Amino acid sequence: MGNKLNTRVVGTRMRRPDALDKVTGGRGYVFNMKLNGMLYGKMLRSMYPHARILSIDTSAAEKLPGVKSILTAKDVPSKAFAPIYIKDMYSDGVRDVRVLDNVVRYTGEPIAAVAATTLDIAEEAIKLIDVEYEELPHYFNMHDAIREGATQINREFENNICLSPVIEEGDLERGFAEADHIFENTYSTHRVHTCYMEPWMSIADASADGKVTIHSSTQHVFGLREKLAYILDIPLSDISVIKPHYIGGGFGSKTEISSAEPLAVILSQKTGKPVRMENSREEDFITNARTPMEVTLKTGVKNDGTITAREIHVIADCGPYATYGPEAMMICALGGAYTTYRCKNRKFTGQAILTNNMRAGAYRGIGGVQGCFATESQIDEICETLNLDPIEFRLKNAHQAGDPNPITDVFTPGAFKLESYRYEECLREGSAQSGFHKRMPAGSSQGSKKRGIGMASQPLWVSGCVGFPDIPEQSGAIVRINPDGTASLSIPTIDIGSGQITTMCQIAAEELGLKADQVKMNYHLSSDILPFEPPTHASRATYSAGNAVKKAASQAKQRILEIAASMLEANSEDLEIQEGLVFVKGVPARRLSVAEIAQYTESALVQLTPESIKKGKIEDKGTILCTASAAPQSNPSTPCAMFVEVEVDTDTGEVSVLEVTYAHDIGKVINPTSAEGQVEGAVQQGIGFTLMEHMQFDQDTGACLTSNFLDYKMPTAVEMPSKINCIFIESIEPTGPFGAKGLGETPLIVPAPAIANAVYNATGVRIRSLPITPEKILTALEKL
Amino acid sequence: MKQLITLKVNNDQYEIAANPWETLLSVLRDQLGLNSPKRGCDAGGCGCCTVHIDGGAVYSCMMFAHSAQDCEITTVEGISKGKSLHPLQEAFIDKGAVQCGYCTSGILMSAKQYIDEGGGSEEKQIRQSLSGNLCRCTGYQKIVDAVKSVAENKIA
Amino acid sequence: MSLTSLEKFYKPTNSSELVSLLNDYEDSALILAGGSFIHGLAARDLLWGVQALIDIRGMGLTGVSEDSANYQIGATTRLIDLARTSLFNTNPAFAAIADALTYPPKQILNVATIGGNIATACPFFDLPTALLALEADLQIEGTNGARDISLREFALSPFENVLGSNEFLSRIMVPKTNANKASAFLKLETNANDLALVNVAASLSLDSRGNCCNVRIALGGGVAGTPVRALAAEQLMENQSPSEELFKEAGELVLGDIDPISDHRASAAYRSAMAKVFTTRSLQRSYQRVLKVQGNSI
Repeated sequence: MGNKLNTRVVGTRMRRPDALDKVTGGRGYVFNMKLNGMLYGKMLRSMYPHARILSIDTSAAEKLPGVKSILTAKDVPSKAFAPIYIKDMYSDGVRDVRVLDNVVRYTGEPIAAVAATTLDIAEEAIKLIDVEYEELPHYFNMHDAIREGATQINREFENNICLSPVIEEGDLERGFAEADHIFENTYSTHRVHTCYMEPWMSIADASADGKVTIHSSTQHVFGLREKLAYILDIPLSDISVIKPHYIGGGFGSKTEISSAEPLAVILSQKTGKPVRMENSREEDFITNARTPMEVTLKTGVKNDGTITAREIHVIADCGPYATYGPEAMMICALGGAYTTYRCKNRKFTGQAILTNNMRAGAYRGIGGVQGCFATESQIDEICETLNLDPIEFRLKNAHQAGDPNPITDVFTPGAFKLESYRYEECLREGSAQSGFHKRMPAGSSQGSKKRGIGMASQPLWVSGCVGFPDIPEQSGAIVRINPDGTASLSIPTIDIGSGQITTMCQIAAEELGLKADQVKMNYHLSSDILPFEPPTHASRATYSAGNAVKKAASQAKQRILEIAASMLEANSEDLEIQEGLVFVKGVPARRLSVAEIAQYTESALVQLTPESIKKGKIEDKGTILCTASAAPQSNPSTPCAMFVEVEVDTDTGEVSVLEVTYAHDIGKVINPTSAEGQVEGAVQQGIGFTLMEHMQFDQDTGACLTSNFLDYKMPTAVEMPSKINCIFIESIEPTGPFGAKGLGETPLIVPAPAIANAVYNATGVRIRSLPITPEKILTALEKL
Repeated sequence: MKQLITLKVNNDQYEIAANPWETLLSVLRDQLGLNSPKRGCDAGGCGCCTVHIDGGAVYSCMMFAHSAQDCEITTVEGISKGKSLHPLQEAFIDKGAVQCGYCTSGILMSAKQYIDEGGGSEEKQIRQSLSGNLCRCTGYQKIVDAVKSVAENKIA
Repeated sequence: MSLTSLEKFYKPTNSSELVSLLNDYEDSALILAGGSFIHGLAARDLLWGVQALIDIRGMGLTGVSEDSANYQIGATTRLIDLARTSLFNTNPAFAAIADALTYPPKQILNVATIGGNIATACPFFDLPTALLALEADLQIEGTNGARDISLREFALSPFENVLGSNEFLSRIMVPKTNANKASAFLKLETNANDLALVNVAASLSLDSRGNCCNVRIALGGGVAGTPVRALAAEQLMENQSPSEELFKEAGELVLGDIDPISDHRASAAYRSAMAKVFTTRSLQRSYQRVLKVQGNSI
């Protein structure tokens, strides 16, 4: 990795400023918080997947000593809202969820809430609430939910479909006519959970004057504020959402509001005490999940591998409310086969279907994971059938640097270009390092333990949401220069574990000319002072928030130089800052420290010293405090490729992932340690998604069978490959901070098809539905 | 009915009133105000609650507070000496083994038993020693690297 | 987990104290050693109404001793101490025990006890399968004195054992052996720190002609309500010359002795298929170990 830009802090393996705290106990989690007089809230959850609530008797619960308040549907606003945070406040998605309703639509849906003096009492009280249900027909299978005569699940949608998009271009019929071969396959993905480690929890504190303060393990202070204001009819400016120092993981789950937060506020309003509402792990598992989908892909190709036509049909299981389901379905196609390779004749149709399963949430790589599994598995099938090289096939159909951005082009043609785009190198370098071309023909290795290598690529992804309809993309930052020569950075971006604290400090330090440890992240912030930005999601932080940080830092730097010029009686253009010292270029003896400059701006105009009376300049006085709030210029793509070597035990069907090689063009790497960490974490989630994680439910009652870590199988350190090779191709993105682009999601988008293709290479069997379990492999091998 | 018990935590003695069903985890956090042992699942499935009892890693969420009397309980707060971090804590910072950090305390305690018992730098053994702890952010790679570096330094 | 029905916590120091408590509480006391499966029992609603916990780790039931016939393991001996006992980790005859103890993470090994592990009667646990192949016996104490039973008789069905409400498990006896014997235990799990989908333990010796003798095969995991001995497979192998084909045939025969479940983890068909595979592999491993023993004794 070269350092073409000659950066001093950006590009280094700066240690995380928050790491010391986290290895000595971890003080900053909202989970640690207690407030004086705090009560504990708990929700009663539905036993049935679809039922009308005929009556709720809370009398026994009310009598339990320590119970302070109980809420049912009649005690809370009946206003419907859209729970997801990513939509613009002014067009915020389908409003079909209520805090508490008289109909329940999935097993585990909240129907009442209790506040009590201890958690044990609250849990006891919940058990004493008596509910009379009238069961209604329920649908766990998407196809059943849209059959003729199916019962309507959601008030807003008669036919249990909440979105049926049709997007097309070119001439599909002609495209297929031109093809020498047509491939049509259906790939299906399943329900998995994000498994953030810090439980979903909040503490709401409503004061007598109507103001509300809320602490929450959330990925978005503004979304939480906006939704609470809307649901509870409280002015936005009367709600303070305290920004957490950092949270213990989110991965997208925490980019929506649940019933817990409004209920906590109402309980606090009624009792006059702060109310803490936290999920048990069993409850966390059923908050939201990756949207299960069936993707049918019909692709026309010529003998030479040119793609002539693409027809994509996606059906998605949203659960009973739209939530993130329609979004995920759109991205599956529009971040998948509809755009990722060049093809003029294409059509996407979809059905976002409502069922009585758990709610669809956002999970890292939303929709893209499902789309990539289909697209990249099918490419493998095409190449195997037509005896084409998988790398050359992809390159033949690939976009090029300078092309219009195919994803944003769907909505705003010509608005953005692929400025930095080194997709080819990702494929070639990844292939070379992994030994991909040395792989054996599929299923040809001898012995019962068979090895294989597979690959998959994601040619396009996003760095934030510029260009997408109804999804805001802007960031802000506040930089304050302190009298001790440090800079305080205040940003709305929440560090969910990926290292945003570190990245932003590095960007600010680089821009300001300070040493890495001279930028301090401000942890004491709230929605009251912070500039607006969307959630920490969509691989946006480095690119979008990073740009805002750089901008604010740049302004602060200008001001520092102005003051320094005044103090040194020089021209500010002749000055530079290095490691906290401001020099006249070429004359290091003429210098001031940033500390001295900041002290001067905050000190008296007239100062007495033993020798003289010093008078400064009035225009120099005042804290150096700069803010920026702006949208980034573009939505650069971050192509990648993953190569996976597996070993399949064909007696048991077990798959071991031996080695992973991953090549990614993320522009300038701000912090190599963090970047590698993102990839390594994504490999764990990718292996889990592909081979072992699976949210499963009782098919009669809808009760979750896998709501604990014994039954929900997540990879431990033992199941991980011994080597994960990260290759970062550092294109320089002109619109990115120091050339950087996004990173967070792409490494999780590619593992599933890479592993599936590796399993095929090892065994000769193709599995098109996830997870790829030992049973599926043995069945395909006709051993079961 | 709460009963008075005495717990010895990080070399300090505490007299606590605890109900028979209260777990060591909830007592450590809620009564002694320790941040490091964390609730991740309350079921011995994730390891975020791992502490030491007499030098051995245990799931504090699965242990009744009453069962922990007459034992030496050690949490992450007790493994550093004043401002001097334990080599594992240093290594975790140095190698980038901490992302969201929620699993970190539990993993440090598991790794500490491994190192205290002379665990070697062989990667497979290190991975096995971490099998009772889940992490969702790091993929374990830099955690393994950190433990390995401490094991290697001990041998050296 | 919230066992809010619990009122008292006891730590008796001898068996008469314990027996007296058991008499007082009858069915509403729970004997506890490491307690690492309490949550599992609570989640299955098996601890409803439990009023007292009785921690028996202070009663001196810890440690390994021996008499002429058996090794005796106190019920509250921790799994980690068993794993560190050189008898079990150097003598191939008892390798099945050492194998079973390689699977749990430290957090379990440091607290779980052999007595608790057996008394839970969880069909997915590992040690009972290993001990079954080693023909372990159990000593039970209670108001009516002490009695010995074979491990085979102990578990009745998932989470149900023969202990009366005023009885407790005090000792596990593993028979000594003169013969050149080796054992092995293997577990199929999806990820580490998992319950077994299938587990198999095998133990065998070779007679003077090199034929298999005293073959014992036990299976657990989801293959039955309790761990079972595969008697037909054992009989098949008796006095036969060891070979890959024989081990495979034995694997086929275990099917008659198991009744696998289908659940969200695996289907009965898969468990059956794996019971065969892992039986064969356990036999192979035992055999390899026995050859080494023989090699060493030449």
